[in-house]
Amino acid sequence: MRRREFSGSRPKSTLRTMAASWHIRNWLSHHVRRVTATRAIHAQSVLPGTTSAALQAIRTQPSQYIVASLVGRKFILTPRDLLTVPHIKDVSVGDVLVLKDIHEVGSRDYTLRGDPLIPTGRVKVEATVVEHTKGAMEVVFKKKRRKGYQKTIKNKHPYTRLRIGSIQFSDSP
Amino acid sequence: MATQHLWRAQLRSYPANGHTAFLPQIRKVVLEFCQHYPSSTNTRTFISNHLERVARQNPHIEFVVRQRNGHEPIARGFYANGRDKVIPLNKLEVTGIERKVELLMDSSGAKIRPLKGARTVESTTESARGVWSGLHVDTPFTI
Repeated sequence: MRRREFSGSRPKSTLRTMAASWHIRNWLSHHVRRVTATRAIHAQSVLPGTTSAALQAIRTQPSQYIVASLVGRKFILTPRDLLTVPHIKDVSVGDVLVLKDIHEVGSRDYTLRGDPLIPTGRVKVEATVVEHTKGAMEVVFKKKRRKGYQKTIKNKHPYTRLRIGSIQFSDSP
Repeated sequence: MATQHLWRAQLRSYPANGHTAFLPQIRKVVLEFCQHYPSSTNTRTFISNHLERVARQNPHIEFVVRQRNGHEPIARGFYANGRDKVIPLNKLEVTGIERKVELLMDSSGAKIRPLKGARTVESTTESARGVWSGLHVDTPFTI
């Protein structure tokens, strides 16, 4: 069962997938046919036309993920996971941040990709600052031979750790 | 159909502090100083002038001041996971001592480990999209 992506692409039916399976050896085709049949039962055959309908399809599935930008980098995030980024200033432990750059929301069979972002009124994800910490000591030894130049640089990089909250879908834009 | 077993490990839950509610991990900060040695001068100044303000701003933390004569000044933080962090304060100015106390308050008490690369996103949930399967694609591999 192929993934369905709702960003203006034409819907492709499952018939092509089923046809391809008949070219495999007999014993293998029995397994593939059984699995594709069970998946086709609960996945929609018609693509939703509106963003609300797309988000509704994503919500019905057991788990979702987002692709969000934070501190200039994109991360694939799910609820309950712990994100470590370089130290964010002006933020104290216990503060709740709202992720404003969400590029993609998806689940097992469906994906909604923003253009380039998903409107913040549709999908809301919060992240709680859990701690400001430092990494392990990194030691960099620099040397140029026969020149009498050598130095040892010790560095402990400061990090901020964030706990991602639940993905909240709102019905009204 | 065979009976579905409910394994004990399936009922396990993983801690996710901050997901719904956030509990500060710092429990107690102990400041130890010497009454006579000059290395404790800045620590004594901090305790006299600034500690009350810091304690009032953080009502969830227990602040303890201990006199420990003949020893260098120390800030010790106790955390919810049972670990403690010890920071010497003997070569610091008053602002530096305040920064070290803030470091203790901001930390979670977890052991310091390398945080780059593989530890950027630490997740206990299974992936939403599942694992890729070579059989469930448009053109499966045929020998």
